Amino acid sequence: MASNAAVPFWRAAGMTYITYSNICANLVRNCLKEPYKTDALSREKVHFSISKWTDGKPEKPTLRTDSPEE
Amino acid sequence: MVIVPATTGQMGVLPGHVATIAELKRGVLSVHEGSETTKYFVSSSFVFIHANSFADIIAIEAVPLDWIDVNLVQKGLEDFTQKLSSATTELEKAEAQIGIDVHSALNSALTG
Repeated sequence: MASNAAVPFWRAAGMTYITYSNICANLVRNCLKEPYKTDALSREKVHFSISKWTDGKPEKPTLRTDSPEE
Repeated sequence: MVIVPATTGQMGVLPGHVATIAELKRGVLSVHEGSETTKYFVSSSFVFIHANSFADIIAIEAVPLDWIDVNLVQKGLEDFTQKLSSATTELEKAEAQIGIDVHSALNSALTG
């Protein structure tokens, strides 16, 4: 099988596809007209809880609420 | 028929298309139904064409073209062109380049 074309520039810079895709989506959202833009900004918000596991037990979870990052 | 902007070029999808998974680059996706065409701008996405003539487009953002504000696109393009020239790390350069690519694609979607 032939090898793939050269890696995309963002992967060469150490970015994953998901990061790339999220950046693209954020850029598109920022270019929308109102009222679509305010609706879209609510899609960017993430709210999740992380807990690290050590020795088979979960430690205290941390709650993260990220608003859209630049 | 749906025309999708695959990374390998524009691709037309009709019923009976061979089952395919394709990565799309950001651009215009047009759905042709009879004589009506609806166009959407998709940020990066994938298209899954199934063997039973169903196709799924998986995108984080897909907006009808008239939702896009041309002034914000122009401004974004200028901002990112400027960021590219002042970027230092590889990562900053990549981000600025992505900004330029997406905004130029938005621009040509509105004017094309």
